[in-house]
Amino acid sequence: MSLAVAARRRFSSVDWRDPNTLTYVGLGFLALIYPTVVYLINPDQGPALVSQAADAGVFVVMALGLNVVVGFAGLLDLGYAAFFAIGAYTYGMLASGQLALSPIGHEVHLPFWVLLFVAVLVAATCGAILGAPTLRLRGDYLAIVTLGFGEIVPRVFRNLSQFTGGVNAISAIDAPVLPFWIDGPWDGGASFAVVQNLKFTAGEPTAYYVLMVLIIVAVVVVIRNAQRSRIGRAWMAVREDEVAAEAMGVNTVNIKLLAFAIGASVSGFAGCYFGAKLSTVSPENFTFLVSVTILLMVTLGGMGNIPGAIVGALVIYFVQYKLLSDLPHWVASAASALSLSQHATNVATDYATRLNFVIFGLILAVTMLLRPQGLLPSRVRAQELQRGTTDESVFDASAT
Amino acid sequence: MAVLEVEGLQTYYGRVRALHGITLHVDAGEIVALIGSNGAGKTTTLRTISGLIRPTEGTIVFNGRSLADVTAAARVGQGICQSPEGRRLFARMTVTDNLFMGAYARSDKAGIQKDLDRVYELFPRLKERATQIAGTLSGGEQQMLAIGRALMSKPKLLMLDEPSLGLAPIFIQTIFDIVLEINASGVPVLLVEQNANKALEIAHRAYVLETGNIVKTGTGGELLESEDIAKAYLGM
Repeated sequence: MSLAVAARRRFSSVDWRDPNTLTYVGLGFLALIYPTVVYLINPDQGPALVSQAADAGVFVVMALGLNVVVGFAGLLDLGYAAFFAIGAYTYGMLASGQLALSPIGHEVHLPFWVLLFVAVLVAATCGAILGAPTLRLRGDYLAIVTLGFGEIVPRVFRNLSQFTGGVNAISAIDAPVLPFWIDGPWDGGASFAVVQNLKFTAGEPTAYYVLMVLIIVAVVVVIRNAQRSRIGRAWMAVREDEVAAEAMGVNTVNIKLLAFAIGASVSGFAGCYFGAKLSTVSPENFTFLVSVTILLMVTLGGMGNIPGAIVGALVIYFVQYKLLSDLPHWVASAASALSLSQHATNVATDYATRLNFVIFGLILAVTMLLRPQGLLPSRVRAQELQRGTTDESVFDASAT
Repeated sequence: MAVLEVEGLQTYYGRVRALHGITLHVDAGEIVALIGSNGAGKTTTLRTISGLIRPTEGTIVFNGRSLADVTAAARVGQGICQSPEGRRLFARMTVTDNLFMGAYARSDKAGIQKDLDRVYELFPRLKERATQIAGTLSGGEQQMLAIGRALMSKPKLLMLDEPSLGLAPIFIQTIFDIVLEINASGVPVLLVEQNANKALEIAHRAYVLETGNIVKTGTGGELLESEDIAKAYLGM
């Protein structure tokens, strides 16, 4: 009974006027119905679409993590994919035949559920190791150091080929196995797609999808609680004015390190999942472009706002990996519908392929012009752009 | 009894010596003003006391304990609180969040809430704007917030840097009234001001700074009548 009371109290404390609440509810609802709807509408493509949604989730998780670093604490991290790589390689090396070829000499197959947390720890440690000497730097300088780190890490994995397989990548990585062989009533011929055959196999991605939704929920809960705590306020204060934050008694180096380590561990989490789902990890998966894409997701979604990061990641993922990659195909079918000559069709398709990034850039530029605060800005950002700040500078730059 | 004792403080910015040996003290319940022209070292003195700058020479003793090895963050915990020059609010945080940041070094939830209510009582204007972000406040309101934020740390010594800077005269009077009110509640205040007249009116004692040296000291009333004062703070 007391549980019901507690639940009701918790429920009534939810602020329904907060647009974020509505976004969370909307996103949760979409996540629930998505597999069923997809299987109903398009049974042939169903598994592929659910699988893609799970891949998009990897970016959602990373955007959530980078949002802590860039959005909350204001630390520009241009090498965020490095931690993603570290997470993925941690899983790849410790859950495949790879290490048999290394000086260690025998295969290591640890369970996914353990490595998920090992990857988080390893990534957080690397984040702290990178952060400790560099977080004394500010702004642009920090960005350059992280950029360097983002370039170094994939190269280390490429050249440490004894352990990582180098350019040949690690392949045949173990798929996760449900603990205790949970098979349950959903195993088998039930028609309800969400709970059908919940096993981690490539052809049946529902289990990956469900796992990803659970990961996102967990990450959102942790980050949201951090944001609303004293720590979250300290992050914002450091972002706004580091000297003033120090004058308030904030240990700025530690608080920045914490943001960095949390961001890194979330990325490591995503990397571990990514390695498990793709079952292969190659240094090419973690280029600078990945770091930039995640930064774009956070900025376009609404810097410093959790639902913003989620929506930004989904939108950019959709545009980049669905809309633009299908574009040549659409152009080709449009051309044949207009019964153009084969040559004209080829030319149009060719252009659509080549102009891919131009179109992507245009979409980004237009979106940022129309909504500079991002798709779902935090309340503070919205207020800032709505009211404008006073003409007087809030702090005196010459005093530093 | 002296709350704060500073002796022979020397501070450098790179190779430039900003303070040439400052000696001053603040007693319990006092308002002490530091006045002087631009570049005299007033702000540097405050920043050195609050630990944002390290002195090369000299000692700072607070409530009988040396602050030599105490970081800026830890000094806040000991009760030294500075409302910095130019206010330095957290522009994109709400008024309430700014005030809570002032209480960052504290952990007594009930006490923090009580002090929040007190700040809102002192500055009803801030209560009206509680959910507004600090950057959208007017200059006077921002100064109120800066002082309110400093009060939230439950200071045992409140250091105010140019609280009247850039404010309309009506706000200046309000701010100085509030400084008096805070002091009446038992908090010693170290006040840096360019508006020497106003500062000397409310200060029990004052030090006059000139190019990193203390050139004159006395009670507020004495210095108000002194002819040297005009000279010192006009920097002639």
